[in-house]
Amino acid sequence: MKQFDSHLLRGFFLLVIALNLSPQCFGQHYANAYSARREPQQENQRATIPFEDGNISLKDALDQIRTRYHVKFAYREGLLNDKSISLSLLDYSTYTLEELLEKVLAGARLSYKRINKRQYSIFSDRTEKTGVYPETEESEVQEESSQTEAMIPLLKISGTVTAKDDGLPLPGVNVLLKGTANGTTTDAEGKYILTIPDEGGILVFSFIGYAIQEVPVSTQTTVDVSMEQEIQSLNEVVVTALGIEKEKTSVAYSVTEVKGEEFTQARENNVANSLTGKIAGVNATGISTGPGGSSRVVIRGNGSVTGNSQPLYVINGMPIDNSVPGGSATPNGITSNVDRGDGIAAINPDDIESITVLKGGTAAALYGSRGANGVILITTKKGRAQKGIGIEYNSTYTLEKISVFPDFQYEYGQGDGGVMPTTLAQAQATGRRSFGAKINGSTDYVAADGKNHPYTAQKDNLKNFYQTGSTFTNTLAFAGGNEAILYRLSLADLDSKSILPNSTYNRKTANLNISAKLSDRLRVESVVQYSLESANNRASAGDALANPNWTPYEVANTVDVRWLSPGYDAKGNEVIWNDAAIASNSYFVVNKFKESDSKNRFIGQASIAYDILKNLTVKGIITRDFYNYNYSNILPTGTLYTPLGEYAGIKSDVSETNAMITASYKTTVAEHFGISVLAGANGRKFENRQVNFSGKNYIQPYFYSFTNLATSSAIPYTGRITTNSVFGSVDLDYKSLIFLTATGRQDWFSTLSMKNNSIFYPSIGTSFVLSDAVSLPRVFSMARIRASWAQVGGGGPDPYAINLTYSSVPSASSVPLQNVTTQSDGTTAITNINLKPFTSTTTELGFNLQMLDNRLGLDFTVYNRRTTDDIVRVPISNTSGYNYAILNSGRLDNKGIEVLLTATPVKTPNFTWNTSYNVAYNKSEVLKLADGISTSSLGNSANGNAYINNNVGHTYGAIYGYRMLRDDQGRIVFDTNSGLPAQTDINQELGKGVPPLTMGFSNDFRYKNFSLNFLVDGKFGNKVFSVMEVYATRLGLLKSTLAGREDGLVLTGVTKTGDSFSRTIPVSNLRSDYYNTLNRYTELFVHDASFVKLRQVIFTYHIPVSKLKFLRMQSASIAFVGRNLLTLYKKTDNFDPEQSLTNGPAQGIESIGLPRTRSYGINLMLKF
Amino acid sequence: MKHSIQHYTTAPLLMFALLLIQSCDRNFDEINTNPDAVSKATPQYIFSKAQYDGVRYSGNTQALLLGTMQYTTSYNDVAGFGSKYVASQGAQSASVFNLSYPTQINEIGEVIKAVKDDPSQVNLYAVARIWRVFCFSRLTDLYGDIPYTEAGQGYNQSVFQPVYDTQQSIYADMLKELEEAAQSFDASNATTFGSADQIYSGSPAQWKKFAYSLMLRLGMRMTKVDASNAQAWVTKAIAGGVILDAADIAKMSYVGSGQDINKNPVALSMLNDDYIKADGFSNTEGGKYQQVFIDSLKSNNDPRLPVIAVVYVNGVADDSPAIQKGMPSNISGGKPADFVTYSEPKQTTVLRIAAPVLLFTTAESYFLLAEAALRNWYSGATADVLYEKAIREAMQQWDLISGVSGTIASDDIDTYVAAHQFTGSTFDEQLEQIYTQFWFSIFPDAQEVFANYRRTGYPALVPNNYPGNATGGKIFRRFLYPVSEQTLNSISYAAAINRQGADDFLTRIWWDKE
Repeated sequence: MKQFDSHLLRGFFLLVIALNLSPQCFGQHYANAYSARREPQQENQRATIPFEDGNISLKDALDQIRTRYHVKFAYREGLLNDKSISLSLLDYSTYTLEELLEKVLAGARLSYKRINKRQYSIFSDRTEKTGVYPETEESEVQEESSQTEAMIPLLKISGTVTAKDDGLPLPGVNVLLKGTANGTTTDAEGKYILTIPDEGGILVFSFIGYAIQEVPVSTQTTVDVSMEQEIQSLNEVVVTALGIEKEKTSVAYSVTEVKGEEFTQARENNVANSLTGKIAGVNATGISTGPGGSSRVVIRGNGSVTGNSQPLYVINGMPIDNSVPGGSATPNGITSNVDRGDGIAAINPDDIESITVLKGGTAAALYGSRGANGVILITTKKGRAQKGIGIEYNSTYTLEKISVFPDFQYEYGQGDGGVMPTTLAQAQATGRRSFGAKINGSTDYVAADGKNHPYTAQKDNLKNFYQTGSTFTNTLAFAGGNEAILYRLSLADLDSKSILPNSTYNRKTANLNISAKLSDRLRVESVVQYSLESANNRASAGDALANPNWTPYEVANTVDVRWLSPGYDAKGNEVIWNDAAIASNSYFVVNKFKESDSKNRFIGQASIAYDILKNLTVKGIITRDFYNYNYSNILPTGTLYTPLGEYAGIKSDVSETNAMITASYKTTVAEHFGISVLAGANGRKFENRQVNFSGKNYIQPYFYSFTNLATSSAIPYTGRITTNSVFGSVDLDYKSLIFLTATGRQDWFSTLSMKNNSIFYPSIGTSFVLSDAVSLPRVFSMARIRASWAQVGGGGPDPYAINLTYSSVPSASSVPLQNVTTQSDGTTAITNINLKPFTSTTTELGFNLQMLDNRLGLDFTVYNRRTTDDIVRVPISNTSGYNYAILNSGRLDNKGIEVLLTATPVKTPNFTWNTSYNVAYNKSEVLKLADGISTSSLGNSANGNAYINNNVGHTYGAIYGYRMLRDDQGRIVFDTNSGLPAQTDINQELGKGVPPLTMGFSNDFRYKNFSLNFLVDGKFGNKVFSVMEVYATRLGLLKSTLAGREDGLVLTGVTKTGDSFSRTIPVSNLRSDYYNTLNRYTELFVHDASFVKLRQVIFTYHIPVSKLKFLRMQSASIAFVGRNLLTLYKKTDNFDPEQSLTNGPAQGIESIGLPRTRSYGINLMLKF
Repeated sequence: MKHSIQHYTTAPLLMFALLLIQSCDRNFDEINTNPDAVSKATPQYIFSKAQYDGVRYSGNTQALLLGTMQYTTSYNDVAGFGSKYVASQGAQSASVFNLSYPTQINEIGEVIKAVKDDPSQVNLYAVARIWRVFCFSRLTDLYGDIPYTEAGQGYNQSVFQPVYDTQQSIYADMLKELEEAAQSFDASNATTFGSADQIYSGSPAQWKKFAYSLMLRLGMRMTKVDASNAQAWVTKAIAGGVILDAADIAKMSYVGSGQDINKNPVALSMLNDDYIKADGFSNTEGGKYQQVFIDSLKSNNDPRLPVIAVVYVNGVADDSPAIQKGMPSNISGGKPADFVTYSEPKQTTVLRIAAPVLLFTTAESYFLLAEAALRNWYSGATADVLYEKAIREAMQQWDLISGVSGTIASDDIDTYVAAHQFTGSTFDEQLEQIYTQFWFSIFPDAQEVFANYRRTGYPALVPNNYPGNATGGKIFRRFLYPVSEQTLNSISYAAAINRQGADDFLTRIWWDKE
């Protein structure tokens, strides 16, 4: 009961706030605040000179009202001339803005009209009586015609208003004859009719989020307008946590939105990859695993020492599952070590309206435990009210080619000890060794295919082995609706062929969005997505076995890799090409290994919102993300390394179900105080029911079924997590000048013990519009400061981490076997009953400047994010009896700066140039792991040559390994037993695995119907360890192995006792006695991974459909698109610095994954 | 109005919150219970697993000691680490250490924890203690100083960085444990591991013999470093009663089907590494018998040669002694053209996955007793009698491995014995005879041969001086600790290195004094 009380208290924290913040209470606060501000206002008044009779000019009066209430007035020039009012009328304390305006304007026989929250137009009473029509759209046109007869002479103007970006009609646009209240709004098809006096005038078109347009009219009767989005608009609305829309100025933290069209032209199969370079502080990395692969996105540094550091993905306010079935690939795995794709990969970019990145802290505080690593909010497209059905068709065809080729040596060819192979046996023995004779074109050369070939360099093995990849994506969408119901249905197909022969990926998605307004108060919305992803022969990587990339990269340099094709003999068995069976013949892998997976996924959401009162809305929403997954990986009969074959399979059913209810209330108190309160509760259930199949030795050869295995086991795993939460937020807004946001959330976790299973996460933030508070030089259009503090966290992400359990071991013996329950990877972990949720505390400060009429913008953020009590699954000495301990003591700091510069250097009717540059620096430091534990490893390369570790006092995820031992004078110290350089200990820090500095530079040019967009991005300051180079060194492919090829290699240094040491390695032993042993010195294979890439180019021609009316099209465009086209700067000679293999935390190891590619193609967009 | 707004706002919110909070952690216990595991350990079941694991992880693989003791080799550097000691593959030697602690050591610790304080389970406790000594002795003999007293205490005592005990103190404790355990058996107590014990079906009498046999083995280990202590323990062991009867041989039984854990691990690892295709050619890691071994067997007309070795002729296994041929260990540069003509293990004996693994044989007892007799620590029989008995027992134990009796005809044994008299005149010559025969006899337990080789210098193997080797062409003296210990247990590791010497192949462990 005691427990209950404390929960109750905390859970109601926000409700209590809500109670206290009654309007009355606010009224008092306001009065105080107002009196405090009175002095400067009076000073301001002195600037205007009252008339002797105690009157002031109406213009001055409105100026004062303008600055006081932060509103703008529009009026016809000269309208206010010669008008004055009594100063005594300006009594701000008693009246609301509108009452005051009425009073002030009445004497001058003027009226006003509220355009929007912050804009009013002023006109003379006379005009209003004759020209303003009721706002109801339906009656508008009719009344118009009756008015037409009454008014003489009159000019009737009609037209269509469309949006410039997509060409679709814009309903609800205000159309006003400038200087009058004569106006109307566009209908559902963007059409309007307005009758104005014959003398003409200026038509003003305004719509939230779009730049105001003024069009002079004199005699024309049709005025079509294309409205341009105003990115830097003060009224810009952003989607924040739980899908709440807020004005950008009110947001207390850095938030970045990327529009859907940025993903739909130059597309990545995995939409998360296309975030690369676009947002300061967001480090998105594509993985070298081919189409359908997963991505790794980290926002503001890795937030958890050993746990998940990737953000939460949220679609339309509700979370989806982003896990990789069966776990991420590892840098050192074999056979079944494939990247099976993550959850976000199922999302079709064409369905995305926008992506908003909440970078953590306050932004994500409402998500509580799941917001610790930031949140990526995806808003999907909805239907639009329009006549008929709108059809959109988007088609992209892209080709993919390898972008980086190794810079190998081509002076000495296949062989060993300086000798060229002349027999098949020699050729097989040295199939991957390039320590042979000088390449001389000799015709005595025999290769592993048993044939004579000229002994010449073969430089095109990557080109010869891989094919041109392609991706063909088609999306057809139907959208439409009326006032009551809006719908959008999209059907999409993505068909991708990898550069790896026989490797394919297909994704079909159907997405239906229906929203309906059932009554004035009741709205329902439903989004249903079904997707089917299927892949065949995804590339395995990591260590050699089954890695199809091994042969093309490591084959001897006088071998044309195609000589090894098809890789199998008449019986279907692998053909030998080298001395180690584990290094599979890649043609055999491509032709005979069978990987296939399919994911049937359903994401459904249904919500109902009811306005109890005008400003009080209750909303219930339930979502379920469910998929079933089938995976099998067949290592076939006849594989040299495993002649009888192996089988691995996964079957899993994963679901994430959320039910949320919220109540929100919005009001304005005493005119200046905006208050909105939200309270809600969420229940989350996650479930993974998985069976892992494994077995080996096919009884009947070449027949690949789980039923045909001599040894097999099927091991079930069930993981269930329930998290319940209550949350609330309060938003205060004073005159749209200063904003305050407070949130709180209490989470209860099923994965923790009952004693420690809940935690409260608070946040608070403020935003202050400096430019409205004080008068700044004209150059500043807007200046805003923001600050926030938040705690978010997490609670033991894995089930069953609190109690030690025992499980049965599959056995054929009559004796039951039991062991300490092992993790899915076969390791054991010490459970911990005392685990409690961890906390991530973020403090963030920033400012936002808009200058030169919004032509230049600067957004600056500095943050400090500290994770405490992190739940770490820390590797411990095996001698403890366990591989891991689950501890609750990690502490990690991420500090950083983010800068976003936006500019419009050129803006003319025909030509505009928009540019933006973002840069972010994040410094991470591991402060603590656990008492007495200073290192925790995140992963390692094949053969343990390099480790990615978190060491206390050092950066997150650095590369560790061996150096050659050197004495004080830098001389290499030799081990006299082996005659080789001695190794240092393994704990040498060799570089950061994660780039601290990231940047993106984006440019948008528009000239008439053409537009060009390109994005350059770069990452700096990190290193990468190359497994490919380890082998290429041991096998004699790297240029660095040329030393000693003619006369032997002289090694000199000192012995451990300081005596001088010298040894000559003869050419005959150059490989075996020296280069083959260099894998012991990690430092030799660590390179600077900094790069600058031309990431994206889109060159678009917007087809002028208005001139091709017969096509009945709303808009059309055709574009050349390219991704990853050029690497402008890199320091790695032989591979792409982004050649990462896993989307897990162990970044910084190149592991012979699929080569990185550039892609380019054509995009066609049609809208009917 | 203000009040009504307040009323409307808060009432539903209160209701939601109340509903949720009341159920906010209901059923959490159940949700967080793994349906595929139990919360209570069953010591018998864990003991069975500990037995499998204690035998499964050893140095007896081709990549390790089978190669080093020159039974097998490979043309492949990687797989040939054991026979070539290549520097680039040195880390392979850490695998036994890495695999043993989280399995056999932790499991036997769990068993001991469960039965220790229950007087009715005294016989289970004694058996578990003996098994624990067996497991630790195999580890320390390979690595020297290792975590012992604090090992496997991660869960019970939150010891994440166990200290390394000196091998000397480990030996002292192991011998004490064996003595105490052997003496603690209660013959009147019928509670044993029963069928869960896959070695002796729980028999206290046989476990007692195994305990004293281990005591004999460990006592003898100390001859170089502490002869008087060695003598004391050897004497005590002999007095306690060691394994002298074939029925008492400590052998781990296997089903030979089902899961890998149910299969003879030495055979299974050889099969998986090389011989699963049984065609003499498709050997995955390039493994074959080594020339030294086959030549020795041939030159001695050893009747075991056709029992253990075959050459594939046209894809058919042929065990004719005349065509047996071992592969040289210095092949560099890939698969030799005549690869198929080299001998490899026979599928029905050495590679029989249903065969038991012999952990302590009568042959070993007799060889050790022969040495004890030479040293005048034992007077029950003379060294030559014990030596001959050992050879005979070793030949006969192939019946156990092959699963049929009379695998080696008794005539052949007589002939061999007659040709191999105990002729040495000096102590050293006699020791060489004993441990050369030991090499033939104890195969494939290379780990035990490796221990006696280091202690006695026999068999007199000629080391392989292969390019790129880590030892300057010497047979190494120990395995390397896992590199993870440098990182995860750095202080304890450093202390061990300081005491014992560099973490190097040639550093000698305590009982391997020069």
